[in-house]
Amino acid sequence: MLRYIDCIDAGTDFCPCTLAERKECIICPQLQDRNVCDCLNWKGTCMCQEFICNGLKSKKSREFKKFDIVETVKLREDLFQLDIKVTKGLARELNNIGSYVFLKREGDIEAYSTPSSIMNSDTVNNIISIVIRIVGPKTKALKEVEDKILVKGPYWNGIQGQRFLKELKNKSCLILARGVSAAPAVLAAKKVMENGNQVYVLLDRGRSTENFTKQKFKDLGCKVEDVSFFDRSGNISGENAAIIEHLLKKWGFKVVLSAGSDWFHRKMISFIRGLDKSINFSTVNNSIMCCGEGVCGSCEIINIRGERIRSCKQQYDPSEVFLKEMDN
Amino acid sequence: MKVVIIGGGWAGCAAAIQAKKSGADVLILERTDLLLGLGNVGGIMRNNGRFTAAEEMIALGAGDIFNITDRCARHKNIDFPGHKHAWLYDVTIIEPNVRRYIYDMGIDVFFEARAVDVSMDGKAIKGIYLHDGTLIEGDVFIETTGSTGPMGNCIKYGKGCSMCILRCPSYGPRVSISRRAGVEDLMGMREDGSYGAMSGSCKLNKDSLSKEIRDALNEKGVYVAQVPPEDVNLDKLKMKVCQQYALKEFAEQIVLLDTGHAKLMTSYYPLDKLRKIKGFENAKFEDPYSGGKANSIRYLSMAPRDNSMKVKGIDNLFCAGEKSGLFVGHTEAIVTGTLAGYNAVRTSIGLDPVELPVSLAVGDIIRYENSMKDTQEGIRKRYTFAGAGYFERMKELGLYTTDVAEIRERVERLRMEDFFRQRLI
Repeated sequence: MLRYIDCIDAGTDFCPCTLAERKECIICPQLQDRNVCDCLNWKGTCMCQEFICNGLKSKKSREFKKFDIVETVKLREDLFQLDIKVTKGLARELNNIGSYVFLKREGDIEAYSTPSSIMNSDTVNNIISIVIRIVGPKTKALKEVEDKILVKGPYWNGIQGQRFLKELKNKSCLILARGVSAAPAVLAAKKVMENGNQVYVLLDRGRSTENFTKQKFKDLGCKVEDVSFFDRSGNISGENAAIIEHLLKKWGFKVVLSAGSDWFHRKMISFIRGLDKSINFSTVNNSIMCCGEGVCGSCEIINIRGERIRSCKQQYDPSEVFLKEMDN
Repeated sequence: MKVVIIGGGWAGCAAAIQAKKSGADVLILERTDLLLGLGNVGGIMRNNGRFTAAEEMIALGAGDIFNITDRCARHKNIDFPGHKHAWLYDVTIIEPNVRRYIYDMGIDVFFEARAVDVSMDGKAIKGIYLHDGTLIEGDVFIETTGSTGPMGNCIKYGKGCSMCILRCPSYGPRVSISRRAGVEDLMGMREDGSYGAMSGSCKLNKDSLSKEIRDALNEKGVYVAQVPPEDVNLDKLKMKVCQQYALKEFAEQIVLLDTGHAKLMTSYYPLDKLRKIKGFENAKFEDPYSGGKANSIRYLSMAPRDNSMKVKGIDNLFCAGEKSGLFVGHTEAIVTGTLAGYNAVRTSIGLDPVELPVSLAVGDIIRYENSMKDTQEGIRKRYTFAGAGYFERMKELGLYTTDVAEIRERVERLRMEDFFRQRLI
C-alpha cells in the first residue's frame, strides 16, 4: 500500500511551523536534513519556498485568546458541555473533521492547557460546542470556569485516517461510538453527510440509558441504533457482532469511524478487518497531547513499521497502528 | 509485456514510441495535462552536431520524432551566434502533433497521473504508485521524470519558482522514482561547485514586440539586439545549463529565435531593463511567466546508469533524458529515450541490452557523458551535440558532418540501417 504520510497543518496558515526551523518538518526533506526535493505528500504548496520567502522563519503559532462562554450544560455528574462564542474565522476553521482546540481557565498555568474536540461548530452564530469529561486536574479546572475561557486553535488532528472520510462521496459510512469520544464523531458525521454520504451510527449506551450524542446524530439525519457492544469479558457480544456483520453486508460501508478508546479501536478494527479487508478506518485520536505542535513528544506513537509518529499533527492510517498486535 | 514510462517529455515519448515499435504494450504516466514537458517551450533542432545525431537516428530507423519536428518547423537552416543550420519547430503546434502520433500507435497515456512511490520485489520494481494511491503494475519501467524543479529546489538552488511550463504548483512536484526505489540521485554542479543549473532561455510573447522585430523573426527566424553596456552581465552565463549558449555574444546581445514564441537566449531578464531596449517597450514573458526574475533549476536528480541506459542497482528500471545524465536538449532526450525504450523490451524478454556504437555520435555521447560524470571536472559540464565541449569532441573525432549520405554510409558500415525498426516480440 502507498505509504500514508501526512501533516495536518501542511499547506495551512500555520505552515511552515517551528519544526521547519529545527529541520524536523514532517513532509519536506529540504526542511529536514536533506538537500533536495523529495516531497512525501504534496498538499498544494511548497513549505520550503514559504519558509525561505518568510526569511527562514516559521509562521506565527496559535495563541490563546479569551472568549465568552454562552452556555454550560451538565450532561452527567462527570460530563458537561461548553458552548463558546468565538470569531467567525475560528468557527469556520473549526468546522472541519477532527477539529480541536486547547482550553484553559484564565490565570491557570500553561500545563493546564486541555485538548478538547469540537462536537459542533455553528458558523452562523459562531458558537463552538465541546463536551468534557472530568478525569483529572485539567478537566476539573475547566469545570470551574464561569463566563470567560481561553481558547487556542484551530487544530485538526483529532481524527486519524481523515483522508478516508474526506474522500468519501455519495457512499456510506459506519460510526461506532462509545463514551465522550462520540463528540468528535458528530462533527465528522455532519461533514461526511455534506458529501452526499449516508451515515449509520451504532452508539454504545455505556453507563447511561443512551449516549449524549444520540439526538445530535438524529438531528443530522443519521440512522442511529443504541447498543451495548461488549459482554462482561470485554468481547463484542454475539448479538452485536451479528448486527455489525449484517450492516456491513447490507450497506457496503467503505469507511468505518471508530469513536472510543484505543482499546475500543483495536477491538473494532480487528473484528471488522476480519470480515472485510477492503474497509478503511478512521479513529478518534486519543493520544495525550500537550503542545499540539509536534514538539513535546507526549503524543508520539509507533506504527506497524516502527516509525515514530507525532500524532497531534501527523496523520496515520489507523489500521497500521491498531492492527499491529493482531498481525504479530 | 508491459512497459511503463514515467514522464511524458521528449525522452519519455521517444522511449514509448521505440518500446511500441519493438512490440511491447506501452503506458506513459504524465504528471501534467501535456506531453513534451519542456519541449513545449523549446524548439531548437539540428543546430551544429544535432544535425548529425538526428540523421544518425533516422538512418538507424528511429526517425519518427525527427520527422514530426521537421514537419512542424517554422524555420529551416538558420544561423545564429555560435550555431549553424538550426531548425526551429513551432511550439504552438508540436504537442498535439506528437500526441496524435502516440495515440495512433496505440500507446496509452494517463495524464495528471503523478508517480509518487514504488512497490518493490527485491531489486525489481513491481509497480508505480500514483498520487491517489493507485498501483500501476508493469514488467519493465523507464524513468524520464527529468531533473528540473520542483519548487523547493528552484528556491534553494535558484531564485525561486519562476512559474515555468512544468507547473509544479498546479500538478504537484516531480518525484525521483529511482530514489524511491533505493538508488541515490547524482547532482550536477556549476563552475563554482554549487549544485544544479538554471534553464538557459525564456520566451517572450511575440505580439508584445515591435513590428520590426516581429517581421524579422517571421522572415528570418532570428533577431539580434544589443544589450545596453550598463546591463551586460557576464556572470549570468555561469549559472546557465545550456553551456552551448553560454557565449559572450549571448551576454552582450539579445538573441531572439522564432519558435512561435520569441525565444530569448538568456535564463531570465529583468522586465524593466528589457523594456529599455528599442522594440521591447511592451515586452511580456510567455515562459516562464516570471522570466523577469528567475528560471527553473535542473540536474539535481540524475540516476546512475550504464551505457544501455539501465539504472544501476535496480533490475528493471531504465532511464533517459536529463534523468540519465547531464544532457541538454530535445535531440539528446530523444536519442537516450529511444535506446532506453529498445533495451527495456530486450531485457524483459531475456536478451542482453545493447549499447550504441561509439563510431556514431549518438553512441559516443552516451558513453562519454557517463565516464565524465564520475570526475569533478565532468560533473560541472553539460553534454550536447549542439555545443560546449562535446561538439568540439565531435569535430575532433570526425563525427560531425552534415552530409546525409555519409551518415547513412556510416550506419550501413555498422550493418545497423533500420536497426530500431525491427520488432523484438
